[in-house]
Amino acid sequence: MPQLDFSVFPSQFFWLTICFFSLLFIMSKFIIPKAGEMIELRKAKIEGELAAAAELKKQVEEGMARYEQALREAFERADASLRKTKEELADTVSRKQSDLAARLSAEVSEGEKKIEAAKNRAMQKIEEAAADLTVSVLEKVGVSGVSKAVAQRAVDGLKRK
Amino acid sequence: MSNPMEQFEIKPIIPLELGGVDISFTNSALFMVIAVMACTLVFSLCLRKRTLVPNAAQSLVEGMYEFVHNLLRENVGNEGLKYFPFIFTVFSFVAFGNVLGLFPYAFTFTSHLTAVGCLSIIALLFNIGIGMKKKKIGWLRTFLPKGIPLALAPLIVPIEMISFLSKPFSLTVRLVANMTVGHIMLKIIAGFIVGLGVLGAVPLLFDSAIICFEIFISLLQAFIYTVLSCIYLGDAIHEH
Repeated sequence: MPQLDFSVFPSQFFWLTICFFSLLFIMSKFIIPKAGEMIELRKAKIEGELAAAAELKKQVEEGMARYEQALREAFERADASLRKTKEELADTVSRKQSDLAARLSAEVSEGEKKIEAAKNRAMQKIEEAAADLTVSVLEKVGVSGVSKAVAQRAVDGLKRK
Repeated sequence: MSNPMEQFEIKPIIPLELGGVDISFTNSALFMVIAVMACTLVFSLCLRKRTLVPNAAQSLVEGMYEFVHNLLRENVGNEGLKYFPFIFTVFSFVAFGNVLGLFPYAFTFTSHLTAVGCLSIIALLFNIGIGMKKKKIGWLRTFLPKGIPLALAPLIVPIEMISFLSKPFSLTVRLVANMTVGHIMLKIIAGFIVGLGVLGAVPLLFDSAIICFEIFISLLQAFIYTVLSCIYLGDAIHEH
């Protein structure tokens, strides 16, 4: 087999070493930097863009959180103001109601007093009229000389019965 | 029918002699030079126009680059990445040598024990150099792993030495045997094509299929050669 012919070893060794090391030189000086350059660049770009995307996502999430926070606060403020208004309204209503009730009861009692007074006055006039009537009735039946004061007492006596 | 071993014969093209040693420029040397030139040419052409989004040619080279890169990182680790040019060159050289050998009338220098043996010896010396640089005198522990009683040393040291030296040998033989067998098979079947006349279509089809298979084998063997080089490099760098 020609493969096992070791007489060509020096020649093979010489040329292989030259070829291999020149290829190694060409590779490490020209090819590999060229090939690696774009790969590194691409990797850097992809990583940079991923980082930028992550940054944007974070910003959006922060904005969202701020927005939700603001929304929650607005709702709370609206709730509070609504509650306050309701309470004020209820306060006002009850105060007006009690005012009205007080005024009405005062007017009622005043009216009652007036009615009482009018009643008393009327009663007095009726008693006077009754006394006058008694005097004139007694004169008609022939009993004269009965004074108005006596008739008055008699009417008082009747009224007490 | 021609002799299927004829294709492996080394013929001097330019006879040279250096200090009484025959270093003639042979057909084998010619194909080594062609492999280097083809490799340089193909890679340069592929990388002529480089864009951030790679085109087809560019991604071919970049694919190879990343492939060898990952291979090295998985087998040796990140500290092995500084030897990337060496491993990448080994891969390219062997792959181009194998594939070029499949062209008609081409010579396959990777089917020669002397050629591949030299490459393996270069790789071995490279590994020894790295190991010695990294571990200094501790590199000698390669032949006497830690935890082995000293009494066993006379037994272990020769075994470890044989195992160490057999690594490049097994690398070489695997590649050479694969290349040789493939080429002999191609040649023998090709011999039938003409001999059988019209019926020669059958071996022709068969040979075509084998050529496809051989291209695959060429790349696969280059890959295996590279993987094993990486593993041996890893052994040289890491503790035993």
